[in-house]
Amino acid sequence: MMYLEYAIFQRALLGCVFIGLLGGLIGVFVVKMRLSTIGYSMSHSAFAGAALGVALSVDPLLTAIIFSATTAFFIGPAADKARLPIDTITSIAFSLNMALAFIFLTFSPQIGLSSEVASVLWGSIVSVTNRDLVYLIALCSITLALIYLFWKELFTIMFDRKMAEADGINTKIFVYFMIFLAGLIVALSLKIVGGLLVYALLFNPASSALQYLHDMRKIIFLSPIIGAASCIAGFFTSLFLDIPVGSCIALISTLIFAVSVIFSPKRKRRWRNED
Amino acid sequence: MAPIIELRDVSTVYEGEKRPAIRDVNLTFEEGEFAYVIGPNAAGKTTLLETINGLLPIFKGRISVLNLDVQKYGKQVRCQIGYVPQDFMVDPGEPYTALDAVLMGRYGKIGVIGRPSREDKEKAIEAMRLLEIEDLANKPVGKLSGGQQQKVMIARAIAKEPKILLLDEPFSNLDPESRDKISKLIAQTSSERNLTTIIVTHDLHQIVDSCSRTIVMNSGRIIADCELRKALALIEKWYFPGFWRHSG
Repeated sequence: MMYLEYAIFQRALLGCVFIGLLGGLIGVFVVKMRLSTIGYSMSHSAFAGAALGVALSVDPLLTAIIFSATTAFFIGPAADKARLPIDTITSIAFSLNMALAFIFLTFSPQIGLSSEVASVLWGSIVSVTNRDLVYLIALCSITLALIYLFWKELFTIMFDRKMAEADGINTKIFVYFMIFLAGLIVALSLKIVGGLLVYALLFNPASSALQYLHDMRKIIFLSPIIGAASCIAGFFTSLFLDIPVGSCIALISTLIFAVSVIFSPKRKRRWRNED
Repeated sequence: MAPIIELRDVSTVYEGEKRPAIRDVNLTFEEGEFAYVIGPNAAGKTTLLETINGLLPIFKGRISVLNLDVQKYGKQVRCQIGYVPQDFMVDPGEPYTALDAVLMGRYGKIGVIGRPSREDKEKAIEAMRLLEIEDLANKPVGKLSGGQQQKVMIARAIAKEPKILLLDEPFSNLDPESRDKISKLIAQTSSERNLTTIIVTHDLHQIVDSCSRTIVMNSGRIIADCELRKALALIEKWYFPGFWRHSG
């Protein structure tokens, strides 16, 4: 615990808590709206942005956010214009962004996959700044306010998008908004969890919470708690074992998911009924 | 008085398909009209309902519902339509109660940001009471039987207090006793509330006496639009011999 006497680790721990809360919260919508490819597409667009930032010698976090936000902004409308499933467009964006990332890396061969770019890929505890925390707190507040305001529309779309449309809800706007929000959260999570594992935070806590409860209002509270708990546990495991924090968070959240599936009261009841 | 629903030369083509799912359809419905749409599989019955509802884009023609162009004002139009889709089933693990599912029917009407009021909840409960599923209100909707889920969806459409009801095979998962009861209930509710009601069905035995009109479809076209007995005789004689005996 002596680590926590240092501001650098205090910031990292706080960052973990906010990222866990945000990932768990937005993950419920990503999972229930079946936007499963959003997570990895966003993380790789952020990686491409970070690579460009390094090549241009500007803040990689800033370029990562710009890339993620731009990709998120175009995915929904592009899927609708092309009349293709969102998953198809996000998968194409994924390969495009990976290609761009490797091209940008060749612009700065002296750096390659070391230092800044590597920290974007794997995550780094020590790189969290006060500015990052301010961004995270601001995003957390905005996300909570928007979910509170539009809860009834989001709740209906999660139940069934077509039925929500039939009820007179403009589902497009809300789906685009969720993609955009997921893009921003991924970009801000890069420093701690890393681009390659950030989507574990979008899926694992939400999928775990869904194993326990029958009420979406309770799931929306439980999922961020699981997200934050995974991040805190991952943070300390990373410190004590001296292994990348992103990997620890992904492993712990996966473990929680596995335990949730095994001990899920919902599944037990279903199995009993089938017997 | 202008018709409440008007389709003029409407054709709808599904993405990637060459043949229209419905073609050159001309139909009008007056306020309070109660009609059935029948026909074999792939006749275009579901497409017709989804086209009226504005859920499918049209390739040709013009549709107006409640004097509004559906392609331009789809959201406003859908706020006035109670819709029950075909074979809508909820996964057993879904975290929604039956009351949640019924109440959602009113959300489009409440408007963005607005919250459901006590009155909205009362309307939802009232619709559930009408369908005799009030006791299921707090049960997870995915855990209900197919028939119960179908009643939940009908309650959702009624709770919306729409001007138009579009029901796609609303009796398919119900037992024979419930089918009779629910089909009569829908006819009664439509009459009391002066709703324009269009029901797609395979089950000709459920067509109630109060049905003012039967529309027969085949291969995306309207092949008959007349009174029930006339329609059935026409089907039997010219189009699908044995259709009446095999249905339901």
